[in-house]
Amino acid sequence: MGLTLPEIEIHEPENLKEACALLKKLGRNARILAGGTDLIVDLKEKRAKVSHLVSLAEIVDIDRIKKDGKALSIGAGATANRIAANSMVARFLPALVDACNSMASYHIRNLATIGGNIASAVPSADLPPILIVADAKVELQGPRGKRKVKLENFFKGPRRTDMKPGEVLTRIIIPAQPKKSGSSYHKFALRNATALAVAGVAARVEMEKGLIKKAAIALGAVAPTPKLAKRAAAALRKKKPSRELFEKAAAIAVRESKPISDIRGSAEYRRDIVEVLTRRALEDAVARARGKKRK
Amino acid sequence: MQQVITLTVNGEEHSLAVKPNQTLRDVLRNDLGLTGTKRGCDVGACGACTVILDGEPVASCLLLAVLCHGKSVETIEGLEKNGKLHPVQKAFINHGAIQCGFCTPGMIVGAKALVDRNPDPSDDEIKEALGGNLCRCTGYTKIMEAIRNWKRYVDTDEPPVHDYDLDKHETVGRSMPRVDAYDKATGKAKYIEDYGFQNMLVGKILTSTIPHGIIKKIDTSQAEKLPGVAAVITGKDVPDRMYGVSPARYDEFVLAKDKVRYIGDEVAAVAAVDLETAEKALELIKVTYKQLPAVFNPADAVKNGAPQLHERYKNNINTRVNHHFGNVEQGFLEADHIREEVFVGNHVYQSPMEPHGAIAYWEGDGTLVLYSSTQVPHYLHYMMANVLDIPLGSIRIIRPTVGGGFGGKAETTPLDLCATILSKKTGRPVKMMYTRKEMFQHGRGRHKQYMKMKIGVKNDGQITAFDYTNYLDGGAYSSFGVITAYYAGSMLPTSYRFPNYKYDGYRVMTNKPACGAMRGHGVPQPRFALECLLNMLAEDIGVDPFEIRKINGMDPDTRTINDLDIRSCEFKATIDAVRKASGWDEKYGKLPPGKGIGLGTGGFVSGAGYAIYRGQVQQASQKPREHTFIKKAVFPHANAVVKVTEDGTAAVLFIGAAEIGQGSSTVLTQCCAEGLGIHPSRVRIRAEDSDISPIDLGAYSSRVTLMGGNASMRAGKDVLEKLLPIAAEMLNTVTGELEAKSGRIYVKSDPEKYADWAECARIYFNNNGPLVGTGWYKPPEGLGGDYKGAAVGTSPAYSFGSSVCELSVDLETGKVDIQKFTDYHDCGTPINPMAVHGQVEGAIVMGAGETIMEDVVYNSRGEIVNPNLHEYLIMTIKDAPEIFSGLVDSYEPEGPYGAKEIGEGSSLPVLGAVAHAIKNATGIWFTELPITPEKILKALKKKKAAVKE
Ligand SMILES: Cc1cc2nc3c(=O)[nH]c(=O)nc-3n(C[C@H](O)[C@H](O)[C@H](O)COP(=O)(O)OP(=O)(O)OC[C@H]3O[C@@H](n4cnc5c(N)ncnc54)[C@H](O)[C@@H]3O)c2cc1C
Ligand code: FES
Ligand code: FES
Repeated sequence: MGLTLPEIEIHEPENLKEACALLKKLGRNARILAGGTDLIVDLKEKRAKVSHLVSLAEIVDIDRIKKDGKALSIGAGATANRIAANSMVARFLPALVDACNSMASYHIRNLATIGGNIASAVPSADLPPILIVADAKVELQGPRGKRKVKLENFFKGPRRTDMKPGEVLTRIIIPAQPKKSGSSYHKFALRNATALAVAGVAARVEMEKGLIKKAAIALGAVAPTPKLAKRAAAALRKKKPSRELFEKAAAIAVRESKPISDIRGSAEYRRDIVEVLTRRALEDAVARARGKKRK
Repeated sequence: MQQVITLTVNGEEHSLAVKPNQTLRDVLRNDLGLTGTKRGCDVGACGACTVILDGEPVASCLLLAVLCHGKSVETIEGLEKNGKLHPVQKAFINHGAIQCGFCTPGMIVGAKALVDRNPDPSDDEIKEALGGNLCRCTGYTKIMEAIRNWKRYVDTDEPPVHDYDLDKHETVGRSMPRVDAYDKATGKAKYIEDYGFQNMLVGKILTSTIPHGIIKKIDTSQAEKLPGVAAVITGKDVPDRMYGVSPARYDEFVLAKDKVRYIGDEVAAVAAVDLETAEKALELIKVTYKQLPAVFNPADAVKNGAPQLHERYKNNINTRVNHHFGNVEQGFLEADHIREEVFVGNHVYQSPMEPHGAIAYWEGDGTLVLYSSTQVPHYLHYMMANVLDIPLGSIRIIRPTVGGGFGGKAETTPLDLCATILSKKTGRPVKMMYTRKEMFQHGRGRHKQYMKMKIGVKNDGQITAFDYTNYLDGGAYSSFGVITAYYAGSMLPTSYRFPNYKYDGYRVMTNKPACGAMRGHGVPQPRFALECLLNMLAEDIGVDPFEIRKINGMDPDTRTINDLDIRSCEFKATIDAVRKASGWDEKYGKLPPGKGIGLGTGGFVSGAGYAIYRGQVQQASQKPREHTFIKKAVFPHANAVVKVTEDGTAAVLFIGAAEIGQGSSTVLTQCCAEGLGIHPSRVRIRAEDSDISPIDLGAYSSRVTLMGGNASMRAGKDVLEKLLPIAAEMLNTVTGELEAKSGRIYVKSDPEKYADWAECARIYFNNNGPLVGTGWYKPPEGLGGDYKGAAVGTSPAYSFGSSVCELSVDLETGKVDIQKFTDYHDCGTPINPMAVHGQVEGAIVMGAGETIMEDVVYNSRGEIVNPNLHEYLIMTIKDAPEIFSGLVDSYEPEGPYGAKEIGEGSSLPVLGAVAHAIKNATGIWFTELPITPEKILKALKKKKAAVKE
């Protein structure tokens, strides 16, 4: 008993080509199904209405995590727990492990995929900010071929993306991270597990001779899409890291955020949180860049 | 269209035809009958449906079964191998990690998966693994303890000897594992949703989509035509009698006859062959409303010209209490210091992990059989008789295992009523279950209270006067609210002596779901306010917060200003004990900014002195009488029968007491066994069925241990009385020289001279026929004063407690981390210390969550914004504090073996203690619940700005 699902037809294509063709044919009546932790909930609560689901589970390698030249490639079907447990990821971008572990709860993370987290384009999603500061791209496979999109350009609004009908997000490509760089992700939620972010901030800094050579800051849950705080990052260039500097950058990041008020927090509170998280994320990123373990 | 899949479940391969829209959970439950996997929420937010899929725990409610083709699933049912429990199961049983048991299968499965991948998990790793498994009962303390100790049970079945066991008796005072723990740890316990009958229909209720309006027309014709629909009912098909809780305020129709008063008010119901068809039928019912203006808070609702919800409640005031004891004006004149503050509570929902449900069918002789997830089988019984106008004798109520209640299942639900009426109409069994959202809409949660309190004290802290006004936001119907409004006033003078006391309470109707009785019924918010106020005053006048409580604290054998008779009372001992155990003196005033420690206390009834309805147990054909106060307990509130098996080796205790997770079946078994003089493992309890067990009024007002315990103990002793002459003859002595224990009836002066208890029982049967004993408990007559409302708050005994909370506040974000609780309680002499501590731990975590995160939020239309377990925040295992629960020595003469309550009273000190600790950490008093990070940060910023100026 409980909530029911609508009548649906499930398709389990065995390769991407088939998947794209199916999606193209079914159009608005179909959605891609990955872990279902977002989509099945929406279907049960009647927020989404479709009659066809195209599962990616049978597609070979859709969940593969591998080195791709100097880059790291994470298949869209990789679950948060698999990513968090992967030693390559832990070396390559430890902050992604933190972001994965900050999501939902253990038994959800065994289902929740990185592709679903990105493609659902929910503003509070935990993985996009860190992937954006890491300069990640997503690979999209459509009926007429592949294309790559920088993740920061992928989001078009709440639950809206750059994906065209018939396209599948196949993998996330994270380029080799610059030398002497460090990244971090800080999430603030109202409960310590199974809670969506009130705000989330990711930061990456590249150090050179004791100064910040370059920085990137991305904000989650405080704008219609995950968002780079470019001016805040610019203010850090060629500067010596200090609490004052980070506070200054944090204040700029606040101005770049565009939060709304909802059940998790007012816009004003979210701005306060962005300020705190930005500073903390920067402090951690610098510590990591310097090879220090986080506190 | 069905697809055939293969699924290996608990090592067995199954070939199953499933529909693409079936979840793994539903296939396990419905197609394979593996009902140990539970439905708590449907949307991944509770963890009750956790199973292990190819080695990893997952939420089976989010997984489509067709996509599990070829995979291997492990459920709770698969953990027991060759008749041997998994060590994690044993640990859960032995450490008391199970209460209602509804979260247990998911929790154990999650823990099993954890120890498979990491046999020595750290505390943080345990918490990380189970962050998605919500438990509303245990406060997670004993769950942590069980998993920490799981390895001890790899090769043994030995239960641990708990250091808190009392050694006075073999049965009472011992922390024996729960009698239902094995069933709950293995997924065998059957809850309402796990039952089904042949030819059964599924029912569903259509509810109002507007907050206030007149029903102009309901068109059910399309719904009726839908194939598979067996019946559709609306207001015209239900009795003209209204129902409710307090006889003076029955104000709900089974389905709305003319008016709807909140979003969620019941309008129509259908019964159909399956859930999908029932849901489709609801969509086809067309209701035309004339919208009326609505009102959503008490301040607006009492204004002249405000929309009126019910004709009979002028200015929407549903209950008005004006109590004035002594002379507060005079008392304030005598005060050296006066402080007045306004406090605002929050709207908290019980959120038991198990959703409500009911199954009804009618037998050929006209007997109604009703299964219900209720905590008050007798009041449900009574109310069904009343609404349907049939004798109690024609109704059989069955209460399956209940997955938590906390007051949310303390009244007759629309499911009970609609399932019954639909079943009558169709001649088939009808099953109805709430979804999580429907539970929130049905409501009956805690009243949000707006409290203005003024207190006067002497220089030394002695209270001279107390004046308090309270507006309770009642929602659209009365529910328990009359009693709530009285309790909110009557329960403060339990722990402190007030020479002058004034209480004005107004329960106000608003266009929202009705509020009812929740753990601590009406009292936690006023208690929060009073405890804060006392701590504020203590600061104002430089008196120690413990001292101010001791100066005013209650002593044993005192009649309170509102005529409550306090007997045993170790309130002051609890204060001293928490002070010492928490290390208060080393910490208070000495902690760095952002760290805080705080104190709260409380006192509560141990069973309501009077039943909810007055007079004799009624024949239903009698109309409910006008509310006349009869100052008599009248009929026995708890009744037990013990029947000994003919071979004398076991006794069965029959008592209709509602086990809802709090542990009553275990405690009553212990009381009965002690009375009988045999080991509790030889006593079985049958409490589920009104045809079998005599009346117990139910699990409310913390009454079962005291009242049901007395009845069970007496029934046991009654049996023993019958055996003593036989033993005396065998031992050549007189009955007065005999005592019974451990299955032996022995000579007191020479315990080695004994007769076998079972042998005596066998002889009794062979000579006299059935060996049966009875016992009952009636509260003392004449409890309470003579003023209007004096009955509410009366009790045979009162419990007391004190709590110290330690926490830290992130001064940059406002986030509170509740780290530790130290609690001491006076619950009399505990029957089962482990169960007592379990209640305290659960109450602390519930209360702490209530203080800092729980709140049902409404939008401007009166619609709930967060009717789910993802956004209505109850604490997870990662949020729960470490808890030390201790007990002070106490003996309550009116209780069985000296025991009194713990279940509700333990929630009272919590809120004030948290607020005090937050003040201590931040320098700021927060008077509005919940004290969210946002409120804290805002206040901190304001304070900073003020300092700068
Ligand atoms: C209880 C609970 C708690 C949660 N907590 C969090 C949290 O703390 N943080 C957080 O970020 N999220 C949280 N979520 C949301 C969700 O779990 C994540 O966003 C998850 O990563 C979604 O992945 P999925 O594989 O389950 O996606 P699905 O539900 O399968 O799909 C989500 C959407 O993405 C589309 N999609 C999926 N894969 C692809 C693809 N390869 N190409 C194109 N489109 C695709 C689908 O069509 C759908 O629209 C929570 C969910 C639940 C139920
Ligand atoms: S029922 Fe699946 S998580 Fe609640
Ligand atoms: S025992 Fe955990 S919810 Fe009841």
